[in-house]
This record gives sequence, structure tokens and C-alpha cells, in this order.
Amino acid sequence: MRMTLKVLVLGITTILLCTNCVNLKHIGEFSVTSIEGIEQFETVSPGFLKICRQDCQQKHIRKLDIHNTDCDCEENEKADSITRVIYHTTKDYFYGLSDLSNNELTSYKTNDFTQALATGDFGPIQLNESDVKAYSDISTLLLRAFTDSFRRKKIKEYVAQAHDPLLKLLDFLELNLTGNLNGKLEVQKSGLKNFYFDFLKDDKLSDYERTKFAEDYFQRISEIAIQQKELDNYTKILRDIAQGHTILYTNVSRMTDEEVRKELAGYGRQMGNTILSLHRM
Amino acid sequence: MPNLTSQQVKELADNLLRMTNALGNYRYENFDRLSEDENMRIKELHLKQLEDTTQLYTKAAVLVMDDVEISLQNIDSITQETRALYKKLGTVQMVLDRATSILTLATAIIGLNPKEITSSIKSLLAPVV
Repeated sequence: MRMTLKVLVLGITTILLCTNCVNLKHIGEFSVTSIEGIEQFETVSPGFLKICRQDCQQKHIRKLDIHNTDCDCEENEKADSITRVIYHTTKDYFYGLSDLSNNELTSYKTNDFTQALATGDFGPIQLNESDVKAYSDISTLLLRAFTDSFRRKKIKEYVAQAHDPLLKLLDFLELNLTGNLNGKLEVQKSGLKNFYFDFLKDDKLSDYERTKFAEDYFQRISEIAIQQKELDNYTKILRDIAQGHTILYTNVSRMTDEEVRKELAGYGRQMGNTILSLHRM
Repeated sequence: MPNLTSQQVKELADNLLRMTNALGNYRYENFDRLSEDENMRIKELHLKQLEDTTQLYTKAAVLVMDDVEISLQNIDSITQETRALYKKLGTVQMVLDRATSILTLATAIIGLNPKEITSSIKSLLAPVV
């Protein structure tokens, strides 16, 4: 009798555990794809500093000057640092969500960003109140994920709490990358046209020289266009992440429904395709 | 003038880039009619505007400020007017004047100088004779 009861309890526990694992698997998979998507940042973003240095170099080329070629790119370094903080915070939220849904919390470790956020060590960078709140909300959630013994049970609560700040961070990342960084690339293209145009019009140069200038110009423009296309694809990933998370958030009380699974899988597939096309570029 | 949000500074930079590109296009399209000196002056102004624009995009990425809807609307109208204006301006001098005024506006925005921004906007909104 005692043995039967033991087997029964063990059986029920196993079923419960397995059901729970399976139920949250789609959230884990969505998180993993989101992480892979967000991490494309490392390859698609040329960074503000790099563009500033390229512009500075172009300025010296224009002046035919290779002496005293220092560049003041301090402000661009700040732009990179703030963008990276947003990137890491967003990425780490999904690492947390993935670990929570996969029940692998031991593998999760806090990163330097948490410390950076806690100390507010951004130099002269100003963040408005709601953005600071977005960072602190996300990092608080992650910290709670370590300390809360009922963390796994509270995954729904975390998704609900993280939703607004997460969307804000995704928006901010999009603004800095496809807004500001892409804008700087547009300026670069205009600057190159300003530079090359006169060579092509200069009839003191041979046709061969002018052709070479034209080829050089088109080569550089197409390199920039590829970077812009990559940034554009990255935005698609960020939007899929936002929409997928919105599905979770709006269905927070029925996260395990088949419909939610399907929709989430759809966004996951879409992201997968975009990541694939980024790799092919 | 209240402070600008990061999104708004980015929109200002977008508008500045449109104005700047309009100046560049004016030079490319009228290259053969411009004197060497005029061509050089417009080229340099264009270049300076581009430098200011890229600086503004960087500023947008690091600066976060308060809302200022009216100024944005004004800048939007200035942008539209400027793009149309280069197509119909009669003299090179007027193009140069317009381009210089836009540079003044860009400098004021970069310096976050509310007084200068307002006065530059006023001068750019004044009808062209």
C-alpha cells in the first residue's frame, strides 16, 4: 500500500514537472531566438565611434593632409556606450527569461551592466526619468530572478512587469541604430558625393582617372548601403521581439494556450529567417 | 524653449539632412552654370552642413530632453519650404544666404541655444522676397 502511494506520488510529480517543462518550452525557445537576434548587434552595428573616425579620415583625405590627424570622437564614444548598455540590458533580460522558462537558473550570471546601472556611471550622458526607470526595472527583475525562490512560478508576473520597460528599451535601440546611426551613414554618403562629384566634372583629368573616381565612389556607396540594409534587418528582429513579447504579455493568464504557442513560434520563425538573411549578406 | 527629446533631436537631424541634400542637389544640377567661386562656396557650405548634421545624430543618441512640439512643427515647415525653395530661387546669392541661415540654425541646435534656435527659425520662416 505504502509502495503504491509512493509510486503514485512520484508519478504525479513527474507528470507535473514534465507538463510544466513542456508548457514553458515555447517561451524558452522564443527567448533563445530573441537572444540570437539581439546578438546580431555585434555584427551589424558599425558603431558611432567607427563612423566618426571614418568621417575624420575622409576630412584629412579631402585636405590631402596626413599630419596632425587627431579626431575628436568623444561624443560618439558616449553614444556607443549608451547604446551598448541598452543592448546588454535587453539581451540579459532574455537570458533571464530563457533560464526561467528552461529551469536552468544556475547558468545565469549577472553582468557588468548591472553594476554600471547601479552606480549610474555614464559620465555626462543624461537619461530621462522613464528611461532610467526602464533600465532599473529590467535589472531589478533580473536580480529578483536570483533571489526569489518561487521565480519559476512567477514567470508570468515577470513578463507582465518587464513588458513596458522592455518595449521602451527596444524602441531606444531602434532609434539609436536605425535612426541615428543610419542617419550618420546617410550623411557619409552625401559627403562622398560632395567629394567625388568635382573630380568627375574635372576635364583636366583623363577619362581613365575620372572613371576610376566613379568606380571608387560607387564601391564606397555600396559598402555603406550594405551596412544600412543590415541595420534595417536588425530593426525587423527588434520589432519581432517586441511583438512576440506583446503576445506573451497580452496572454499572460493563458501563456500555455496553443494559439499563443503558434503565434510565438511564428515570430520565432520570422526572426530566424531575418537572422539567416543577415548571415548571407 | 523647453528641452528636446532624443527622438526630436533625431527628427531635427533628419530635417537638417534633407535641407543639406537639397543644397547639394542644387550644386550638382547647376554645376555648369555656377562660377568656380560660387561652386566652391556652396560646396564648402554643403560640407559644413553635413558635418553639423552628423554631429546632431550623435547628439540625438546621447541627449535626452523634454518635449517641444511647436518647434518641431516649425522645423518641419522650414524643411518643406527649403526643399521647394532651392528649385525656384532666382539668384545664387539667395541660395548662399539660405544655406548660411540653415548653418546658423544647425549651430544653434547643436549648441542647444534656445534663443538662437528661436531667432534662426524666425529668420528662416520669413517669406523670401
